[in-house]
Order: sequence, then C-alpha cells, then structure tokens
Amino acid sequence: MMKLHNITLTVNGRRYDLAVEPNELLLNVIRDRLHLTGTKYGCGIAECGACSIIANGKLMLACMILAVTASGWDITTSEGLAKDGNLNPVQQAFIDKGAIQCGFCTPGMVVAGTTLLMENNSPTEDEIREYMRGNYCRCTGYTSIVEAIESAAIHMNETK
Amino acid sequence: MKIPEVIPEKYVVGTDTPRMDGYAKVTGKQEYSSDISYPDMMWAVVIRSPFPHAEIVSIDTSEAEAFGAVVLTSKDTNPYLYNERSVSVPNATFRDRRLLPTDKVRHYGEPVMALAHDTEALAHKAARLVKIVYRELPYVLDAEEAMKDGAPQLFDKIYLGDEEVLVHNNKGVIRNIDEGNVDKGFAEADHIYEAHYVLDRIYHNQLETKSAVCKPEPDGSMTVWCTTQSIHGTRSLIAKLLDLPFSKVNIKKVTLGGGFGSSIQMNTVIPICAALAKKSGRPVKLLSSREEDFYSHHKYPTTFDIKLGVTSDMMITAAEVKALVDFGSHQIQPLAYIGCTAGWFASLYKYGSNIRFNGTAVYTNKVPCCAMQGYGNPQINFAIESMIDDICNEHGWDPIEFRLKNYRTVGDEFWGQGPTIRSIIKTSGVKESLIEGGELFNWKERKPHTEKTGRYRKGIGVARGFHTSGTGGPKEGEVIDYSSAYIKINEDGSVDVVSPVMDHGGGTWDALAKICADVLQVPLNKVGMSPTDTRTTGFDICTHATRGVYCGGAAVEHVALKVREKLLEVAGRIMNEDPKRLSIYRDDELGQGVVYLIGFPDKRMTIEQIAFHAKNYSWGTIAYADSYRQKNCPPCFVTHFVEVEVDTLTGDINMTKALMYGDCGTAINPKLLEGQLIGSFNRGLGYTLYEHIDYDNKTGQLKNRAMMVDYKTPTFCEMPYVKDCMVRVCDVYEPTGPFGAKGIGEAALASVAASIGNAIYNAVGIRFTSIPITPEKMLKALKEKEENA
Ligand code: FES
Ligand code: FES
Repeated sequence: MMKLHNITLTVNGRRYDLAVEPNELLLNVIRDRLHLTGTKYGCGIAECGACSIIANGKLMLACMILAVTASGWDITTSEGLAKDGNLNPVQQAFIDKGAIQCGFCTPGMVVAGTTLLMENNSPTEDEIREYMRGNYCRCTGYTSIVEAIESAAIHMNETK
Repeated sequence: MKIPEVIPEKYVVGTDTPRMDGYAKVTGKQEYSSDISYPDMMWAVVIRSPFPHAEIVSIDTSEAEAFGAVVLTSKDTNPYLYNERSVSVPNATFRDRRLLPTDKVRHYGEPVMALAHDTEALAHKAARLVKIVYRELPYVLDAEEAMKDGAPQLFDKIYLGDEEVLVHNNKGVIRNIDEGNVDKGFAEADHIYEAHYVLDRIYHNQLETKSAVCKPEPDGSMTVWCTTQSIHGTRSLIAKLLDLPFSKVNIKKVTLGGGFGSSIQMNTVIPICAALAKKSGRPVKLLSSREEDFYSHHKYPTTFDIKLGVTSDMMITAAEVKALVDFGSHQIQPLAYIGCTAGWFASLYKYGSNIRFNGTAVYTNKVPCCAMQGYGNPQINFAIESMIDDICNEHGWDPIEFRLKNYRTVGDEFWGQGPTIRSIIKTSGVKESLIEGGELFNWKERKPHTEKTGRYRKGIGVARGFHTSGTGGPKEGEVIDYSSAYIKINEDGSVDVVSPVMDHGGGTWDALAKICADVLQVPLNKVGMSPTDTRTTGFDICTHATRGVYCGGAAVEHVALKVREKLLEVAGRIMNEDPKRLSIYRDDELGQGVVYLIGFPDKRMTIEQIAFHAKNYSWGTIAYADSYRQKNCPPCFVTHFVEVEVDTLTGDINMTKALMYGDCGTAINPKLLEGQLIGSFNRGLGYTLYEHIDYDNKTGQLKNRAMMVDYKTPTFCEMPYVKDCMVRVCDVYEPTGPFGAKGIGEAALASVAASIGNAIYNAVGIRFTSIPITPEKMLKALKEKEENA
C-alpha cells in the first residue's frame, strides 16, 4: 500500500473528502469512488475524449489527471450539466438533432460542446470541428453533433 | 363535427420522436456493462500472450495466490472447444477454441490466464507475480505463406459440429459455389475483365471496450452484464462453459457502447469473467483496456480475383470470384463469412445466372476476425463496383445505365445469408436512387479525368450496394433466425414491451416501441420498453444481419396484433358487442387509445377503462407472448454519389460532398435513419482512406502498438460539411416488413468505398484496387502515372 493522500474535490456542487493513492487517476476516482459513471473510459491515454470533464471552467481529460493533483478543484461532469432536471441547451440540442447513437461518446461530447460555447458563443462550423476533433465517435459521423452545437448556440444567443 | 364511421388510425411510425434513451445518454445516466459495480466486487485482469505463437510450458501462480488473488488457468476451466459465434446451426459451425488455452497460444495478445483481486491495482500487482514459461514457435502472418508446405501449423484438428476435421496447410475453410454455366457465359462475352483487389484488415474501434461484470447468486445462478449483441447467444455459451442449465445463467440486456459486429459473438472476456466469479464466489468485473480490445477482434481482410464477361450491349454474361481470407488464429465462422460474401456477390448483378465463387479461409497467427458492418459486403462490393466503373470508362458507357441493365431487382432471387438462405426480391428503390441521384449530383455534366489539371482535382463517383434484412427465408438454412416478444396492457392502459432484441444505438428500441404503439393505437409515451434479460424473454438470435427492425420488429408487431385481438375481445364482453365490430383509434386529446363500435363511434371505451374493468372483474391481464420467424430476407438498397478533391501535391484526398440514398422500406425513425447513413458513410470513409491494421513481421505485434492515435479514423474534420452530406430516402413499402420496413444498418456502408474509389478515378485517372488509399499511395501512383505518360 502506498501512502494515501487526503484530497478534497467539489464535483457537481457536492464536496467530497477522499484519501487517494498517489497514482490513482481522477477518472477512476470519479467512476469507481463517486459512482459518477457518465465519465467514460475509452482509451485511458488522451486519445478519445470519452472522459471529458469541466475542471475549474476548463475542458480536461480525467484520464490524464492524477487525483492528488486535482485537490481543491471544482469539477462538473456530464451528470452535473442539467440544473434542476432541466437539460442545458447543448444536451437538449443533442436530443433534438439526433446526435446520439450508442451514446458512449455522448457525455464527453456534451461536456466539450458546453465548454466550447462557454468560450465562443457563436462558433463557425470550422471552429466546432477544430475544437471537437479530440472527441471520438464511431457511430454518428459527427455531422449531427455539429448541427446540435450550432443550434444550441443559436438558442443560447436568442434567450440571453 | 360529424365523426366518420371508421375513425382513421394514427401512426407514430415514420415520424420523428425524441429517442427514448436521449435524456439518460446526455446526462451520463445511461448504464453500460462497464458501469455496473457491487460493493464486494473483485477486479479481473487477463494475462495475455507476449508471443504470436508459443507453447505454454508452465504457469506458476503460487505467488499471486499468496498475495490474495483468485487465479484462473485452463486447469480450472471447461476444456470444451467452442466457437464464439453461435448464430449458425451446430453442424455449420467450426469449433477450435477453449475458454483458456491448454497447449499453446496462437496470436500476440491471446488470453493465457486470468486473475482477480479486491481492487484493480491489486489485480495488476498480482498479475506481475505470475510466472509463465513459454516455448516460442515459428509463426506465420501471411495467408499465402500459411498455405505452403512446411509453414507453421496452428491446428492439426478442429471440429465441425461434432465431427472431427483435420486441418491441412492452415486451410480452415474451403467453400466453392457454382451455378449456371460459367464457361458458356464467358464464351458468350465480347470482353473479359480480370483484376485483383485487396481489402485490408481493420479494427472495429467501438468506443466501449469489451467488458463484463458477473455476479454469482445465492441460488447457484450467475447474472451477467456484458458487451453483447445477443443476450441469448451469450447465455447458451456461458451455460455450456460453466456447465449450468440455461435457467441458471441470466444475461442482462444493457446498453452497448457500439457494436459494429464486434459483439455478435460472445467476447472472450465474458466467460473468463464468469469463470472467475464462479470460482471466487464474488462479483467480478473485467474491463478490457483499449490495447486489449485491439487484440480481440478485427474485420475480415479479403483478397479477390474477379473475372467478368461483358457483351458489347452492356450485359454481364458470367462472373467468377476467387476469395482468400486471412482470418487469424481462431474461427469466428469464416465459413459463414465466405458463404455470405458469395451471396452478396451473387445478388449484386444477374451475370446471366452464371456464377462461380471459390473461397478459401486461412489460419494465421493474428487476431481472430469477425463480422464488421456488412460481413463481406463492403469488401466484395468494392471489387465489383470498381471493376464496373473501369468497364464503363473504357467503353464510354454510362455507369448508371450499365447498373440499371444488370442489377438484380424485383422478382429476382436474393441471397440473404449465403447460398442456403434465399428469397425473392419484392421491393427496390435502386432505379429511383440512381436516376434521381444522378440528377441531384449533376451526373451527366461530369468531366473525364483527362480534362482535369492543376494541383487540386475534383472527381465524382457512384456505386450502389445493399445488405440483407435478417436471415429468414422460406426454408430454414445454415443460420438460425427468429425473435420473440411479450406485450401486456397494464391496468391503467399503458403498455409494457418485453423484448430480447439488442439496440446498438441505431434506434431499434424506439422502432419496436413505435410499432407496438401503432398496432395498439396508444400514444408512444404510454409504451415502456422493459429492462429485460434472458430469464424474462423468449429467444432472439442476435442483432446482426440488419435484422433488428425487420425481424425483431415483426415479432413485436405479431404479438401486438394478438394483444389487440384480446383487447377487443375483452372490450366486446364489457360493451356487449361482437369484437369483430370493434376497432381502435388513438385519441390525442384524451392521450389514450379508444375502442369503439364501428358505425356507432359514440359507443366507446378507453383502453384504460377496459383494462381497469378486466382487473376488477378478475378476468386477467390482456397480454400475449410468442416467437416469430420472418420468411423473407429483403435487401435494403443504398446508392452513394460522392465528390472528392485530390491534392496532387500532398496526396491528400478531401471528401467534399456525399449524397446517400437509402431504401429501407418505411423509415420508422427518419431522423435516426439519417444518422445511420451518415455514420456509416463516416466509417466507410475511414475504411477507404485511412484505416488498416499492420502487423510487424519481426514481432507478430500490431505496428500501432494498439494506440488509437496511430490507428487513424475520421474525426470531425474529415467529414464533408453538414450541408454537403445529403441523405435521401427512397419511397418504398416492403409488404413483408413491419409497417413496410426493411433494415438499413449494414447496407449503409456497402458502397461507400467503391463510390470514393470511383470518384478518385474520375479526379486523377488512377484506379486503386486496394484500400486504404493513403496519401503515400496516392503520391506514388501519381508519380508512376507521370513517368508512364
Ligand atoms: S479515456 Fe480519456 S481520452 Fe480516452
Ligand atoms: S454515439 Fe456511439 S460513439 Fe458516439
């Protein structure tokens, strides 16, 4: 047993005090200890984006972060995007535009789509493609996801 | 307002409805097998072969056991030889693999043994304490080499059903088919064409890696959550390997994070996990890493030698195909693969009814190959559709006209799953798609490659294809096909559908719910798809062969019709009317299905009232369960028109436009259908331009070291822009399908590669007979072309 480290994480608004091993990945902590299984394992080495999370307002890959280094962070996972049961505009647009098939990439996609629109409220198609290209999807062919993000942007700008 | 005598029924089939699992999927709440966990669960690790071919001399697990691991070696497991794929009848199934190998390993990455410990980290630590001694054996990675005398042999004998079969020169399967008079057909031809095509080995790369959670229950049974396309197929094999009755193995239907054929067969990690759970008496979780997944299954590579005879008036008179398949180290039914490939070939054109197909499938020390969207169809389609383009270019014939003269259509025979499963084509949208598509794509205005100059050259191409819808036929053949359903009307008028059918994300469950809603005329939101498992459902063979909607949906329709009959019978008793004079319509104001007396619509009751009475009179639940077999296998057709732009300086090929036609009969979920066509186009694009599994001859390992970044697949950026991805649905109603539906899933990929290859020819005048067409290959070919000019 290696020496355990005490860390504090805020995930989806809830505070967690945990003792973790120095080599424990944030992805595994989120999935296996907090049971927030919406953050997915697809590769474990930053190749697929299935483990995308929002950490301190930035898009990050949970499989590339040691849990000890994340102490004190404020994290949002796919489970935390909807507020009071209301989907955020990106989530809603994924449903409306049929941007979901098997759904395994979907949590990571909606997380990345959400941070994209936080950084750029009216991205062009090229900007969406460029920003999202690290998120892999084997099912949809991506175009419906592009449409969903475009329509979420329009919706957000209209309701601002 | 006067109410008409017969109130028209309303249908949700054919309309867009938000997918039922959408909310769960965007909020991260959809549960996949890898998400299941139990408090006292152990984590398993598989120890895999570090050699492509080696004898297992000894395994010492004492230290790992002293460290607290539960270990599983071949000594602990059933030595029964099995085949992971169980959709064929036993006497058409070759068996060559064990749960864990007893004698030797036959590919790098093959499971040797496994162990489990309290945490994932401890399991990995324990794995490092295991000592395995191997004796390396010579290995062979090439099919041609493998067939030579003196090549390393993978197997001496295997089984076909219960019969022992000797293996010579690694030839696992030989299958020859001859129909009509091929020699006479060629003699009648004015032109003979011959060419060699190479279709590479690729990897499914489904996003969820193969995984399982197995939980031994107090009653001696085993519950299993796993990545599978067939809960019943998995159950039959787990039961056999664990020596349990079917009633003691319960496979849960959980969402699958992408299939594409990789889980038609039972993934090898599932029985390993189950055996560990049985031995330890605790729940066990086994997740494949991406690296392990890369070493689990690949798509069949195939090389073809094609010969076509053509008359001067554009008729094909005979066709001959020689196919060589390097299927790797175990058989996941290359017998069926070759048969199906022969069937797709035979069903593409008429060839004057003169066809010959010689297929050989060979063992090599590589990862075993399995189905991947199309089961030979994209492979043979690329060869034939490329050759037809060449023939037309040479003679100045219009490729559209040529295809319309020769294709198999209504009234012709279609082979839905190899030579033993055939039915007559009843509907076809091929003509519509070729003619309309040609107009939309300005086909007539296309210029030959000789008129194109400059660095960037655009070209357009067309190809057509199809896939079967299911594997049913008037006569039963090598492949089993039926499905089941149980439907009940609840006491409040809502409806539960209990179905064994898997959905890989294409929207099959939405389709089943819609079919049920429309037969019973209840609002869609009153229909629930029950979480099910093998205990609660009748048999379904598998969601493969594009059969989910056509066969699974037909079973739901069949059972729903019986429930409707019962409902009217019960209503008749309450209303004191002859049930034959009653009908149902959906009343959206009431949010209810309503049963009424034909001619006297004022005499009516909601389904809720009827169910409520049936309960209070103690008449029982209005419900029905049955199995159903489709007796046809109608082809779903596709046509692809694409435009590419070749950068002659870098060799890059840019996809600028795609028009996809799908003939799936009635489109039950139109928006989701679009997703099927575009998603398949994307995978086809990867297949044609980027993807290939390369082996390192010096080590027998994958050259990409099982890394996704070194296995290039299309990202967001390689697709045409949204407005340039156009989808059209043919206006077709298939009389044998539920609400006129056929399939679409696998068809959607069939002609992508050929259409891109043909567009590339139109751009630069180079015919690629092998894929992927990488920039390196393109540059080399451009240079050669220049030198020869
Ligand atoms: S799992 Fe983190 S990027 Fe793939
Ligand atoms: S929906 Fe399956 S991987 Fe994206």
